[in-house]
Amino acid sequence: MDSKSILLLKTLLLSTSPRNIYAHTTDKKKRRKIVLGYVGTAVLYAMLVAYSLITCIGLGFAGTIDVAPALCALTISALSFVFTLFKTNGYLFNFKEYDMLMSLPFEARTVASSKYLYMYLKSLPWYLCVSMAVMLGYAIIAGPGIWAYPLWILLTFFLPVIPMLAATFLGFLIAKVSSRFKKTNLIQTVLTFVFIAFSFSFRFIVEGLFRDDKIQEALAKASEATDQAAHIYAPAGWFADAITKGNVLSALLLVAVSGLLFAAVFHLLGNSYQRINSALKSRAASRNFEMSEQRRHSVVNAIAFKEFKRFTSSTIYMTNAGMGEVFAVLLGVVTLVIGFDRILDIVTREAPFDHSILQPAIPFIAYFFIGMVATTACSPSLEGKNYWIIQSLPLSMKSVYQGKMLFNLYLTVPFMTFSVLCMCVSLRVPVLDTILSLVLGVALCAFSTTWGCVCGVKHIRLDWENEVEVIKQGTAVTIYLLPNMLVTMGLTALVIFLGQHVNHGLIALGFTLIASVLALLSYRRVLSLCKA
Amino acid sequence: MLEIRHFSKSYGGDKKAADDVSLTVTSGDIYGFIGHNGAGKSTTIRAVVGVLDFTEGEIYIDGHSVKDEPIACKQVTAYIPDNPDLYESLTGIQYLNFIADVFGIDAAEREKRIRHYADTFEITDALGDLIGSYSHGMKQKVAIISALIHEPKLLVLDEPFVGLDPKATFTLKEIMRDMCARGAAVFFSTHVLDVAEKLCNKVAIIKHGKIIDSGTMEEITEGHSLEETFLEASNG
Repeated sequence: MDSKSILLLKTLLLSTSPRNIYAHTTDKKKRRKIVLGYVGTAVLYAMLVAYSLITCIGLGFAGTIDVAPALCALTISALSFVFTLFKTNGYLFNFKEYDMLMSLPFEARTVASSKYLYMYLKSLPWYLCVSMAVMLGYAIIAGPGIWAYPLWILLTFFLPVIPMLAATFLGFLIAKVSSRFKKTNLIQTVLTFVFIAFSFSFRFIVEGLFRDDKIQEALAKASEATDQAAHIYAPAGWFADAITKGNVLSALLLVAVSGLLFAAVFHLLGNSYQRINSALKSRAASRNFEMSEQRRHSVVNAIAFKEFKRFTSSTIYMTNAGMGEVFAVLLGVVTLVIGFDRILDIVTREAPFDHSILQPAIPFIAYFFIGMVATTACSPSLEGKNYWIIQSLPLSMKSVYQGKMLFNLYLTVPFMTFSVLCMCVSLRVPVLDTILSLVLGVALCAFSTTWGCVCGVKHIRLDWENEVEVIKQGTAVTIYLLPNMLVTMGLTALVIFLGQHVNHGLIALGFTLIASVLALLSYRRVLSLCKA
Repeated sequence: MLEIRHFSKSYGGDKKAADDVSLTVTSGDIYGFIGHNGAGKSTTIRAVVGVLDFTEGEIYIDGHSVKDEPIACKQVTAYIPDNPDLYESLTGIQYLNFIADVFGIDAAEREKRIRHYADTFEITDALGDLIGSYSHGMKQKVAIISALIHEPKLLVLDEPFVGLDPKATFTLKEIMRDMCARGAAVFFSTHVLDVAEKLCNKVAIIKHGKIIDSGTMEEITEGHSLEETFLEASNG
């Protein structure tokens, strides 16, 4: 790293540092939000540490603490790969200040590598939380030699490097391929979806390979599965070897390969960085528009359509907010083609249980994907510098947010309906229960939409540099996502339990009522926030 | 100082944004680049400053090829875009220090230059505030100071007078004249033809990506106003 890379990296960090804003703003409301943001982040760190520690202690109780280092390495690698793949477009490519940076005397690879290191440093605290918690659990249960701790800490810094480079390289390939087409945005979005879907299904593909090799029994145990995965993904194996066996060569291998790959990836990337960004930031103009008859829409529908255009104009927005819908459709199609029973066998490793107990949970399974992100949680902030447009128009904020909510319903309800219907057909759910499940699905979409809007309006942030900051890392999205996920998982478990004692139709009706009341309360809250 | 030879750029559509553009800006020139919206001015300017990749044609700055020696070119060039995207969460002074660091300007010299230009543009008091809190004009002033801080040989500006108050506009024009008197060159696009007429010694008119007229102000206008000449040329 040369001095210019360090300078650029420092500036990138400073330019997105809430601490810097806190130090230089006199706006008390802004300061309070920053403090709350820090508190929220600290709570999330604590939750992650607790979850990782409990998992590690669980391994200890199961007598498989030896796999903890490999599991830690695999977890960090998987998280860093997926999160980086989501972020390359927006951070590495197609970013806002591209013109400003590229007009300065920086090598293209300096800009690219500084952007990569920025992503690395911003996500490092999350990986450190996982690693330190697992290390603590491992220390308590396995009690390794004193040398293991500094080695563990040191190697943790290298663990995300290779998967992040792999994701960066994939992002680079996606951007490179997309830049050759007129519809760069569409191609980029489709390719990103394909790679992310492939990444998520990789685990099942690997397991399928082992099944063919008749070693299914070996995979039945989580510890052996982890060992196998660490064997396939060599860097995780190197980390585990270094910690459990004190293998210095493995540690050196992890460090050296990380460094060499970094140099190789940014050498390749630097050569076509300017060409790719030029193509991604340019839009072909055909200049052949002919005025034809125009259609009039209601105000709310017009805003919903504007939201749709905003959604489809951004690869980051589409891949983050649309991923759940894609997964829900995939789930629906796969359940129809392969069968819900077969999928459950794969997921539960053929555990002997009556699959019909999952029937009442079908809407929640679909909602787990569809409700992951609500566009309403980030769309108020996404107005950014364009906020003046809606502010200066003769529109009530109520209409604006109704339009935003309508778009989220347009986006979620059809996919929810399709997914629930496919699962119900596959599990041969009675017609009445299917209808009630569909109604519950729609009520959950309404809740997701309105609760997302509460978070989006309450934690609106317009002064972002990069839309990733509000789509992926925004306070509104985090506050929407975490309780939503935890409650969904809890409710899924609850309906499965209740389903064994209470009529499924009644359960669906009951939860429809709860979801509807919550949606109504959230909607009223949005209206009151509009007046505030 | 700046030589554009047969530069063309297409964005993948049927039409070229810039089509065989050639022009030469020599030291001491204040070169105006005028044309309708979408005529190809910004495309050409972005290629000159090394932001936009291109394959057709050649651009040289101070004898260096923009394609082959981009860093050498950028070291002597400063660029002010029409709508500068600055880091909004940095203060004005933090941003100016970043640019000064990029160009390796020592502490005493940077302090002197920042103080001079910030006082000239009457923005010194606001340098400790976040850029996000600035008006468009104030952001433009910070972008201008950041462009001048390393004393470039070539100043490239895209619609530089948009958003500037009358005093700042006057100051910028004086700075441009002063730079050129000291041997630098200025290449800028504008829609304000009165300003171009009074300020520039050379001008090029671009239409649908092609240069339709270029030369000294006298050669172009032939006794008419620049506005008349431009309207006649662009309607022809």
